[in-house]
Amino acid sequence: MTARVQYKGWLVALLLALVFIATSEQLRSTPRRSVSVEMQVALPLFVQVFVAAGDRYLAANLAAIRALVVATDRMRPEEFRILAKVQEDVSWLNPAHEDNYYIAFAILAQYGELDSAQTILARASRARFFDYQPSFFYAFNQWYYKHDPAGAAAWMREAAEKLPDPDQRLIMQNFAARWMDKVQDTELAIRVVAAMAKEARRKDFRAYLETRVARLRQLQQLRTAAVTYRERFGKPVTNLQELVSSGILPVLPVDPFGFGFGFDPQGEIVLRTSPPRS
Amino acid sequence: MWQFMLSAGRAGLRSRSIQAILILGALLVGVAYLSASFSPRQPQTVALDVGLSGLRMTLVLFSLFWVQELVAREIERRTVLFALTYPVARGHYIIGRYLGVLALIALAAVLLGMLLWAVVLSLGKDYAQGFAIAPGIPYWSTVAGLWVDAAVVAAFALWVASFSTVPMLPLALGLAFAVGGKSLGAVAEYLAKGADGDPELMRFAPVIHAIQWVLPDLSRLDWRVWPMYGLAPDGQAAGLGLMLAVSYAALLLTLAVMIFTRRDFE
Repeated sequence: MTARVQYKGWLVALLLALVFIATSEQLRSTPRRSVSVEMQVALPLFVQVFVAAGDRYLAANLAAIRALVVATDRMRPEEFRILAKVQEDVSWLNPAHEDNYYIAFAILAQYGELDSAQTILARASRARFFDYQPSFFYAFNQWYYKHDPAGAAAWMREAAEKLPDPDQRLIMQNFAARWMDKVQDTELAIRVVAAMAKEARRKDFRAYLETRVARLRQLQQLRTAAVTYRERFGKPVTNLQELVSSGILPVLPVDPFGFGFGFDPQGEIVLRTSPPRS
Repeated sequence: MWQFMLSAGRAGLRSRSIQAILILGALLVGVAYLSASFSPRQPQTVALDVGLSGLRMTLVLFSLFWVQELVAREIERRTVLFALTYPVARGHYIIGRYLGVLALIALAAVLLGMLLWAVVLSLGKDYAQGFAIAPGIPYWSTVAGLWVDAAVVAAFALWVASFSTVPMLPLALGLAFAVGGKSLGAVAEYLAKGADGDPELMRFAPVIHAIQWVLPDLSRLDWRVWPMYGLAPDGQAAGLGLMLAVSYAALLLTLAVMIFTRRDFE
């Protein structure tokens, strides 16, 4: 090799080195698209299964670990949508995955992905017939976020059925019965609590539920009277005594729990949850 | 035939496969152990889950490796001709080798199964999870299911080896078969449930249905929800899964014997 050829070789190498360094510098200052690389994509289910060598449980674990390590404090709303998709996929691949339903309840429900959280919890509840928690969390979300006391009470009763300890079961059934107080449709509430009373094994709990039914019937009686009052006088009732003084009711019902009845902010008659202030 | 089986067993044990089992086993256990740290509520279940996935992959790789080592390579090197000089039918060679491979993967399944179980139990010392995993029969039935899975893959690789002139073909096709057969269950279930209302995907439903005429659904041999969550498999489904595996493996072995008997080595 002559000195001239060698010289040319060095020149090319130098040129390439300069191109490399210039590109590297340029790239360094180019912003990256996102810091949250964990939640940019949700792979189709088929791809996830193939990537895990056909093993759906491994695919579920890989996606669940991905959902667990993500830093939710830096995530944007659209990334929560992807997290929800990833977790829904986990619950499809392995509905019984305990961590998955737990973080779906803890994270997704709070960040606007309530429907995904409920789907995951419902699947977990079906697969894990021995575990009360998915049904309990579902009931809580239904009550707290969806303002659906009847749905919440139904899931709460399902959760109660899965509890081995009879005392805890009673506590949960009591919750369900109390939630039914908030149901607008008093007829539905009466039917549900009456059915619960019929199924109750313990006598004292059955008596307690029957008292709740009696209380709900009183509420129903008051609401019907309030409708009559409005029709007759063209204005809503603002004081329960008006129902008696107008002759619609002979006497006001006496709440067996002693809490009595009141009005909600919309002027609807409701059951009080604590004794009236003296 | 028993001679071929025993020689397969001896050759399998003499080769470096035992070291490979130990290395892969250590890796498997390490991965299962690490995966537990990603689980806040059920570390033992996740370790068991990931460990069983690793065990399945390891057993499949071993079965392919041993078919490759004990049959495909013997054919390639023409050392098979020495075995065929014995006054026995050629079919005995194939069956003997297959039984040898089955015994070797059973040994690997028992060794790795015990190792995985020890690790999973050790994880329970730090944190008692709400729902305990199920040891004993549920666990060992699952390991047995994975062994049957690997046995079907071995039968497929052996069938390919019986006609292949390319030594790596049984390994490559065997891997594709193992992944395809295992994926089939999840894909078929997804389509059967309507593919989340995606009409594009639903067009594949008849194809997937037709594929099940030639490819066995190996996911039917995976009963891990039993040790993980105490959900015992449905008896009929498990029985049919086993029958599917045994009939498919027997069919492939029959084909392999027929092809191998007619094969011209000159």
